[in-house]
Amino acid sequence: MKILHKIDITRNRTSFIGFILLSAFLTIAIFAPFIAPHDPWEPGYPFLRPSLDHPFGTNDIGQDIFSELVYSARISLFVGFFAAFISMVIGTLIGLISGFFRGMVDEILMGLTDIFLLIPGLPLMIILAAYLSPSIWNIIFVIGILWWTSTARVVRSRVLQVREMPFIEAAKALGANEIYIVFRHVLPNTLHVIFAKFVLAVAGAMLTEASLSFLGLGDPLQKSWGMMLNYAFSRGGFINGYWWWYLPPGLCISLAVLGFVLIGFGLEERERERVKTSEL
Amino acid sequence: MTTRIQYITRKTFRYILSFFVIITLIFLIPRLMPGDPILNILGEEVYYVTPELVQELKAEFGLDQPLHVQYAHYLVNFVQGDWGYSIDYMQPIFDVIIFRLKWTLVLLIPAVIFGAILGMLIGSIAGWKRGSKLDTETTSTFLFFYSMPHYWLAMLFVLIFAFHLDLFPLCGICSGGTEGFERFIDILWHMTLPVSVLTIFNASYNYLIMRNSVVQVSEEGFILTARAKGLKEKVVLFKHVFRNALLPLVTVIALDFGFMVSGVLLVEIVFSWDGMGTLIYDAVLARDYPLLHGCFLIIAICVLVANFLADVMYAVLDPRVRGEGVG
Repeated sequence: MKILHKIDITRNRTSFIGFILLSAFLTIAIFAPFIAPHDPWEPGYPFLRPSLDHPFGTNDIGQDIFSELVYSARISLFVGFFAAFISMVIGTLIGLISGFFRGMVDEILMGLTDIFLLIPGLPLMIILAAYLSPSIWNIIFVIGILWWTSTARVVRSRVLQVREMPFIEAAKALGANEIYIVFRHVLPNTLHVIFAKFVLAVAGAMLTEASLSFLGLGDPLQKSWGMMLNYAFSRGGFINGYWWWYLPPGLCISLAVLGFVLIGFGLEERERERVKTSEL
Repeated sequence: MTTRIQYITRKTFRYILSFFVIITLIFLIPRLMPGDPILNILGEEVYYVTPELVQELKAEFGLDQPLHVQYAHYLVNFVQGDWGYSIDYMQPIFDVIIFRLKWTLVLLIPAVIFGAILGMLIGSIAGWKRGSKLDTETTSTFLFFYSMPHYWLAMLFVLIFAFHLDLFPLCGICSGGTEGFERFIDILWHMTLPVSVLTIFNASYNYLIMRNSVVQVSEEGFILTARAKGLKEKVVLFKHVFRNALLPLVTVIALDFGFMVSGVLLVEIVFSWDGMGTLIYDAVLARDYPLLHGCFLIIAICVLVANFLADVMYAVLDPRVRGEGVG
């Protein structure tokens, strides 16, 4: 009993920290114009060291790095959310269909999922992004269509449980059609699983966006933390040891991703406990 | 016995299918993506040649023929290792990649092994003592590493250990001018930082899996029995929990390759380590599509082979797969 109690506290504490981190970054993103001391696009005196006016100095064309960080929160979170959303829709549909209809459809869709799981994600995204013109929508698209595999699997295994439940049988007996049952009865019962996966997918998508941007495949017209790292690396910030240029964006990525990861793992753990207690 | 063979045959079939999907993707992508397919397949250098030469190249590479002929042509070339010619490197693409792949594996293999051992050990202890202060601290530390962009941690390491403490070189594979044993030591010295960074990431990934796995196993009935028999904690952990949690880890080590590939590519760039990562970085900058395709194919093949080996090992090790039909 004592052990159980302890776990609960630590889990809640980690989820709570995740929640705080996320709220902080969301606030920064929403109120960016009020928080940033300068216009992040306004050029000025280049390579300034940190000072009161420029807390993190200025970059190679004199833009205020702190203001860039604040505005980048918008794009980084936006790309993360949207890419995760696309992957979630694809994964959920595939999981629902293959879990509910079983048989041949299931075989084909799960075979496809297994194949996609084996394809190295980042290298393929690099190729696709290299062909497409660099814009955040293309980045979102590329991440979204390649990130759905684990969602599909988890949703499918949950659907396999749900479809055996008595109320589904009842709905069938009442003559409800299958599409109706899938979306009205099965889907709502898989939502908590999907949500946990979604939160983790946002974390993954943000990291991937940062990686693609770091490789120079990001949108040059938008400011994101990955693009800032790219510029700091390719335009001499790294070689000259201007740590105030390249450390802050990386730290922001890490903390924002950590926020999503903490919440996501908390949700998954809760789901596991729930399954365990229902088995007893 | 027969079920094991069935299991492996089934897996083999799946891997062959995956392999075909992958090479077909690489055939289709340049032909479907925006832009001139000729340019996409032959590289941007085609820009600078005359229209007559383009026609000649087109005929030479069979690009004026119908798609299925092109596909057959592509498959034959693929098998023969004729993956195109890189003008930047003045070498066949296949040779460039194989040379670079060696240096990537030099980083990847030690990192996967050290990371797996480290993550497994710490993960099983944390899972065993879950809820304790130690567990909370290690879990949050590893979760934080797990959330970092790999290349950023690499930049941080360079700043601290190479720039300020001056313990390790800033970049590169070796200093040059050395031979034999001296060169070997020199390479070891150069690879310490990148391998450490990658080890940390692989450890954090394995830590989380191992911890969960141990938590799950330790809730099973036979662990309760072992404790009730009065066995020492250490014996229960290493003889009963660890052995049972270890099985999925065989697969995990192979999966690590897939997981670590993207990490090693990015970390290499920070250290200017002349492996696949810097090759891809330069190819992206030059929009050298044939080279990108080749890199992707090689990486995909490595990941497929690693996964296949893991599946075979799993079938050999796990008595459940040996006895009954699983999967």
